[in-house]
Amino acid sequence: MKRYLLILCFLGIAVTASAAWMDQLQKLADPESKERKILSGTTQVLSSSKEIDYTTERTIGEALALESMQRFGRPVANESLQQYVNLVGAVVAQSSLRSTIPYYFTVLDSPVQNAFAAPGGVIFISRALLETLANEAELAAVLAHEIGHVAAKHALKSTQRAQFFQGVGTITAATSGSKGKEYQALIGDLQSKLFDQGLDKGMEFEADLAAMETSYRAGYNPLAMIRVLERLQKLEASSVKKGSWFSTHPPLKERIARLKREEGRYPDAATLAELPERFRGKIK
Amino acid sequence: MRNILVLGSICLLLLGCAATAGDLTTTTSPSTAAEIRWVVGTGTTLKAEAVASSADILPLAVGAEVQVLENAGRWLKVQSASKERGWVFAGRLSAIPPVTEVAASEGLFAAAAQQSQVEIAQADSARSVRGLSAETESYAKERGTPLKYRQALDRILARQVSKGEITSFMRAGKLGEYAQ
Repeated sequence: MKRYLLILCFLGIAVTASAAWMDQLQKLADPESKERKILSGTTQVLSSSKEIDYTTERTIGEALALESMQRFGRPVANESLQQYVNLVGAVVAQSSLRSTIPYYFTVLDSPVQNAFAAPGGVIFISRALLETLANEAELAAVLAHEIGHVAAKHALKSTQRAQFFQGVGTITAATSGSKGKEYQALIGDLQSKLFDQGLDKGMEFEADLAAMETSYRAGYNPLAMIRVLERLQKLEASSVKKGSWFSTHPPLKERIARLKREEGRYPDAATLAELPERFRGKIK
Repeated sequence: MRNILVLGSICLLLLGCAATAGDLTTTTSPSTAAEIRWVVGTGTTLKAEAVASSADILPLAVGAEVQVLENAGRWLKVQSASKERGWVFAGRLSAIPPVTEVAASEGLFAAAAQQSQVEIAQADSARSVRGLSAETESYAKERGTPLKYRQALDRILARQVSKGEITSFMRAGKLGEYAQ
């Protein structure tokens, strides 16, 4: 009798433990679960050991910058405006988690509501998106979102083609001769990711959170990121979708909801800089 | 009696496994008694007082760890690895470490080696003055990229803002440690 009781006890505990494991497995299968994000973070750390160096990243970024200007337009011919955007970008970049590389910020003469980052720190914002913003804190938020992508190397992590660099002797060898076609295919793949399909949703949410945190560290009101998304939400119905933040980023409603959950982390947000006058003085 | 001991051991083992599975979801980093932060801002210095105009005690490199001793809102009293104490603007620190650059130890694609953040910044500043790289020129030629786009990118890469300009811009906008 005693033996049967012990066996029953053993079975009961085993079933409970199995149920707990099943629960964990189910949570891991859910892409939005905390458990899945922890696992995803681990795999990102593992893959980062195979990352390519900055010089290569920057070279890829330059090629992508050439392609993106042909697609969206050349820089706006206003040196004072370009200098201003570079100063705002530099202030935010020096508060980012990747502050030691040089960044270049450029306003492109494009009517599409868009901003994007080429690997290595070449960052673009369209004239249309710039004109949608109301103050410097909102510009800082958009640039900080793009810096977030550069810091986390999101573009390169989203293409398998980048792996062809491994085992190639020099960057010249990797971009010319027999490898030249593969290199061009990589740039084509990155264009498709950034301008057509968009990056992974998780990467966009990560960049949104990085934007709030980085602009807060720089001294700007971090809630400006939410205001930017709300402004875009009002324009969505009447805007060009192809190649814009509307088509390459997760739904604005979802992004706003996620960021609003973080508002409590910045109790002093309202006391921080927004600088609408300085912004308007440069944009007009 | 021996059977009871064996069963008991199995039960304890299973309970341990279940407990470990539960912990996986909640433990992301080891906890430490002292609050540690990392320097993220280039040009960060340890200050004698909690104001931007205060005297510099020690430069703090990006990636350096400091221990928080006192929290005074936007300024933190910290202790450096060399045991120096002073104040740092909170926006120059982060609760998570900054990105560590992957550098090539020889050639451009050799095995990843860690290089100091300062060396990376210096190398890149020198590079940035040169504008378009030879590889990008070659890519543009292969692709038949019109000259006007190559020239536009050259101008983008030649545009620089100095540390002095950034500081003046922050002061004028009362940004960061220059907020009143």
